[in-house]
Amino acid sequence: MVNEQKKVMMEVKNIKLRFGGVVAIQNVSFDIQEGEIRAIIGPNGAGKSSMLNVINGFYHPQEGEIWFNGEKRPSMEPYEVAKTGIARTFQNIALFKGMTTIENVMTGRQLKMHKNFFWQLLRYGPAIEEEVQHRKRCEEIIDFLEINNIRKTPVGSLPYGLQKRVELARALAMEPELLLLDEPMAGMNVEEKQDMSRFIVDVNEEFGTTIALIEHDMGVVMDLADRVVVLNYGELLADGTPKEVQADQAVIDAYLGVPH
Amino acid sequence: MDFLTYLLTGIFLTPFAEMIEMPDLFFQALWDGFVSGTLYGLIALGFVLIFKASGVFNFAQPILVVLAALALISFYKMGIPAWLSVVCVLIMFYALAWLIERLILRKLVNTDGNILFMSTVALSFIIIGAAQWIFGGRPSSMIHKELGFPTGSLEWPMFGGGVYFEMLDISAAVVAVLLILTLGLFFSRTKIGRGLRAVADDPQAALSVGISLNQIWVIVWFVAGVVALVTGIFWGARSDVSFALQIIGFKALPVLIIGGFTSVPGAIVGGLMIGLGEKIFEIYWGPLLGSGVEGWFAYVIALGFLLFKPQGLFGDKIIERV
Repeated sequence: MVNEQKKVMMEVKNIKLRFGGVVAIQNVSFDIQEGEIRAIIGPNGAGKSSMLNVINGFYHPQEGEIWFNGEKRPSMEPYEVAKTGIARTFQNIALFKGMTTIENVMTGRQLKMHKNFFWQLLRYGPAIEEEVQHRKRCEEIIDFLEINNIRKTPVGSLPYGLQKRVELARALAMEPELLLLDEPMAGMNVEEKQDMSRFIVDVNEEFGTTIALIEHDMGVVMDLADRVVVLNYGELLADGTPKEVQADQAVIDAYLGVPH
Repeated sequence: MDFLTYLLTGIFLTPFAEMIEMPDLFFQALWDGFVSGTLYGLIALGFVLIFKASGVFNFAQPILVVLAALALISFYKMGIPAWLSVVCVLIMFYALAWLIERLILRKLVNTDGNILFMSTVALSFIIIGAAQWIFGGRPSSMIHKELGFPTGSLEWPMFGGGVYFEMLDISAAVVAVLLILTLGLFFSRTKIGRGLRAVADDPQAALSVGISLNQIWVIVWFVAGVVALVTGIFWGARSDVSFALQIIGFKALPVLIIGGFTSVPGAIVGGLMIGLGEKIFEIYWGPLLGSGVEGWFAYVIALGFLLFKPQGLFGDKIIERV
């Protein structure tokens, strides 16, 4: 159940996003509360991924405001958004394929490493301490996601399900306040989906990370999410708890079609 | 039949007999090949750096070598002490890297590789024009003596004969090896190096973990400039510094094909293979084919690689999922 006292972490207001003449998002507003799992669902082309890309800074909406932690966010590039504590995974896995699992996860610590690069080069003094400390954190995350047996494997050669998990590990290594997951279970079999669901819940509960995710599998969404936003043709169709959304006539029509 | 015997002995017997008979000559060839190999490797390295970080074959890399050498000499002639001139060139290259990022790369982010490639072609002509305008086009000689690199040669008695080591070649090899080691460590150990590899692999994902593409591009173009400067000093010292120097850029192509476009060690190994290969081949098998083998040897080897191992020795395997 939604706790009414919860603080709003992120709020998008009246977002409008166009690509040339195509309207991807039309006047959509919703919020994400601290500590919740928020799902964004909708049929193909509903503007879900676009929405995530707006939050993440890959797209810049023509109109609308984004509020994060009580402040209005100026237009930001993705790497600046990352600095504010927002991490993400991608629909079509975006890993550094030439690197091993541990190296991929270590890139998540990029923003947290500040030691002089000459010391890093010589692997000397304070730079070793820093490297060790971050490495340790990454190993913990790798343990947590149960991928220790592939720590040193180049990720390009891993099966799909594991690559998805490595991507999650990299995002977690950033220790984000808000984690955006773009179809974390797409293309997985039932068993892999169950594993991934478990990890998402664990991350939310153990690390207290707020999560916004896009998912197609309605069953999964209804089990996982605290609240659900439904988009259709770039517009907001419904917003509420899974139960409310499931009972919403507009949502049923959008998913099952309406007799004409 | 006589011709066949001549051919077979020429290929399989005489060269090896000569190698054993005159080991000093063989060793000399190895050393000469090694030195030009490291220098080929350096040129290729400049290409690899930018290819790694932005997936662009940087057509302007050879002209950066000329620019570095010309600028260095001009600064020195203006009365700036030699080492301070080096610093001036480095500052100039940093500014150039920044400008290139601002004016070209930033506008073309996420466009097709061909467009980026064409922009580097344009860039190279702009640099040629600007360099001619600012530094003049007359050939001049490198200031390696003033920079403190030793000249003259050493002769080591060896195998009953003697092997000559040009002091300049020794310094070139030492500097090249140091530069390569530093770059290797830079890539594998530092945060910036890791960021660079990340950008090369997947720019979008790199952005999402907080790596700024713009910053990485400036750094990588600057580092390519540093490599160009080192290349310019040592190639310039072997011949005059003029715009003709950019032709050495063509030698980098077979090196890249052999080593792979994305690998730092590949550039070095490829450079050494070409350098050693063409020297040895020229001396021992050259007479059989008439001379001038050095001119085409590298390209024939590269052609072989293109046919049988197109990703090169160390390049990333290109696997397309169908």
